Amino acid sequence: MTEAIEVEGLVKRFGSFTAVDGISFTVHQGEVFGILGPNGAGKTTTMEIIEGLQEPTAGQTRVLGMDTHRERAKVKERIGVQLQASAYFEYLTLTEILNLFGRFYPRHLDPGGLLAKVGLVDKAKATVGRLSGGQKQRFTIAAALVNDPEVVFLDEPTTGLDPQARRNLWEFIQAIHQDGRTIVLTTHYMEEAQLLCQRVAIMDAAKIAALDTPHDLVRRLPVPYEIRVTAAGSLPQDNLAGLAGVKEVAFDADGACRLRSANAARTLQALMAWASEKGVALAEVEVVPANLEDVFLALTGHQLRD
Amino acid sequence: MLLALTLANLKMILRNRQALFWAMAFPLIFVTIFGLFRLDQPPTINLLVVDHAQDSLSTALVKNLAGLERFEVAEVQDEERARRDVQDGEVGYLLVIPEGLAEKLATPGGNQPVPIELVYDRGSQTAAIIIGTIQRFVQETNQQITHAPTVLELKAVGVQAKNLTYFDFLLPGFVGMGVMTYAIIGLSSAMALYREQKILKRMLATPLKVRTFFAAQIMAFLGLSVAQACIIVAAGVLFFNGHIYGNFLYLLVLVVIANVVFLNLGFFVGAVAKNVRAADGMANAISMPMMFLSGTFFPKESLPGVLADVVEFLPLSPLLDAMRGVALDGKAFWQYPTELAILGGWIVVSSVLAVRVFRFS
Ligand SMILES: Nc1ncnc2c1ncn2[C@@H]1O[C@H](COP(=O)(O)OP(=O)(O)OP(=O)(O)O)[C@@H](O)[C@H]1O
Ligand SMILES: [Mg+2]
Repeated sequence: MTEAIEVEGLVKRFGSFTAVDGISFTVHQGEVFGILGPNGAGKTTTMEIIEGLQEPTAGQTRVLGMDTHRERAKVKERIGVQLQASAYFEYLTLTEILNLFGRFYPRHLDPGGLLAKVGLVDKAKATVGRLSGGQKQRFTIAAALVNDPEVVFLDEPTTGLDPQARRNLWEFIQAIHQDGRTIVLTTHYMEEAQLLCQRVAIMDAAKIAALDTPHDLVRRLPVPYEIRVTAAGSLPQDNLAGLAGVKEVAFDADGACRLRSANAARTLQALMAWASEKGVALAEVEVVPANLEDVFLALTGHQLRD
Repeated sequence: MLLALTLANLKMILRNRQALFWAMAFPLIFVTIFGLFRLDQPPTINLLVVDHAQDSLSTALVKNLAGLERFEVAEVQDEERARRDVQDGEVGYLLVIPEGLAEKLATPGGNQPVPIELVYDRGSQTAAIIIGTIQRFVQETNQQITHAPTVLELKAVGVQAKNLTYFDFLLPGFVGMGVMTYAIIGLSSAMALYREQKILKRMLATPLKVRTFFAAQIMAFLGLSVAQACIIVAAGVLFFNGHIYGNFLYLLVLVVIANVVFLNLGFFVGAVAKNVRAADGMANAISMPMMFLSGTFFPKESLPGVLADVVEFLPLSPLLDAMRGVALDGKAFWQYPTELAILGGWIVVSSVLAVRVFRFS
């Protein structure tokens, strides 16, 4: 099966500034692929080159086996695009916009069905200006599906939404994935990438720092887990650092202990043995897995958001 | 696809009530102002007469003057006060007829001229015309009295069958000006807005062809310009007694041809301007001076030398010239090859400009 997207040695310069610095990756068909990175990492630039909206300085991009720039027209027929923070005609109704955009393609879906899919049927005759932020985002995704595309690009689909609206949109993105479409999305939110994406490329300063499944990205961290322990009385501090798997020990102000561990199972066993030997009555034990935020910090030395 | 996009564009234009209102209101305001105030008709002339003679001759003279169109003649007794009134600018003119006018003229051998005095403000612009008129009257009356033979008689024959008014001259100008301002300002701000909101980029992400996009915009705006022209002319003719003596369809043809140039300029401005505000400013900076220079209100022949030659080549100038030829002289638009050639040149130049600078993002 041809890959949904292939990117090889992609470079994009704006004058002397390098926005994308020689990146390569592949997106498989049927995958939800995330590009996670801070502001200015080069996510949008990368996406827009793949979509054929910007010219690369060097390198190649292929969509469904077709070169984006040599077979631009054909590629455009088979992809759906949601641009970061774009609007739609303010004097047309949702139905009219979907109808109009549908006309641009040889094959298109019925506006009613699309609006039903994103729960905007009752807004069919409204204009975009009358929609809430979340509804607007849902509409732009519906508009990206108007040609029944095989590959869908979503550039920061949930930025600026409240948690409720974001969760709502996640469900919707999962639903369009279930239709058998490949989805490429960019995001600043690690929980979004973790929840939605089969694979995530972590992008920082024009380069891809790591690319894997969210689970494997986390597991490959030197300390993928943190075990938080509190005791009924005070917790004796001796020997904790010597427990199996423990790399680092820290104490919170409330007396709780945080054990950073390379292997949660072994550390827990050792912790239990240690507690019964010392006669310590443990009150709470909590295993907190690291997340993509930690991965990002470990890879780049700075936080995902500042 | 082209049709669908054109219709969508028209819908958007018609639903943007505010922009549409200004498109129509701007020229209509001018039509109304010039229609109501009839600036083409010279103001009435107020003439005071102090008649010291009060004989058959002097009353005849006064009666003749009062019969003149535009003359508002009033007889007064108090010469001192009348002189002051002229001095203060209260009245324009004062005619003082000396005592015993008929007598003096009738006296045989009394060949010395009889002083009839006309008092007026030297700053008055209409003075020359008035003096001419009064002089002619006095002379004619003089001649009748002295029975001097009339060797040559100049007969003024009015050949102007159509009573062309200043308003008739203006009306095609308002059509051209209205269509131009809406095309340049309306299209450029629409384009700047589409770019700012990434609507252009969004369309670029579809298989829509760039030329289809351009064509649909142009068709929608051309359709609108025809409606605009009809409304302006209808308002002028129905409400303000304006006239179109030529073929109205020829006017529309000219409007459509010239509007291609204005729309290209709109695309151009929409592309160079950084945002909607800048586009508005630039569009105004282009269309407002052109509106005056190309002779919307005054014949551009009244501009100083070189400037008059240069403005001939502004795109609005050939449009207005040809439109006036059609509207006032009843000519056909193809009788204006020079004007059409200038417009053709502009179409080529402006198309190249528009396509060159146009950006989607
Ligand atoms: N047209 C352009 N001209 C100059 N610089 C540009 C241009 N487009 C993008 N850049 C720069 O390239 C870098 C990458 O931009 P890009 O939009 O791809 O970032 P991003 O990862 O999408 O960021 P964000 O999360 O804020 O959307 C930024 O530093 C941006 O300023
Ligand atoms: Mg971006």
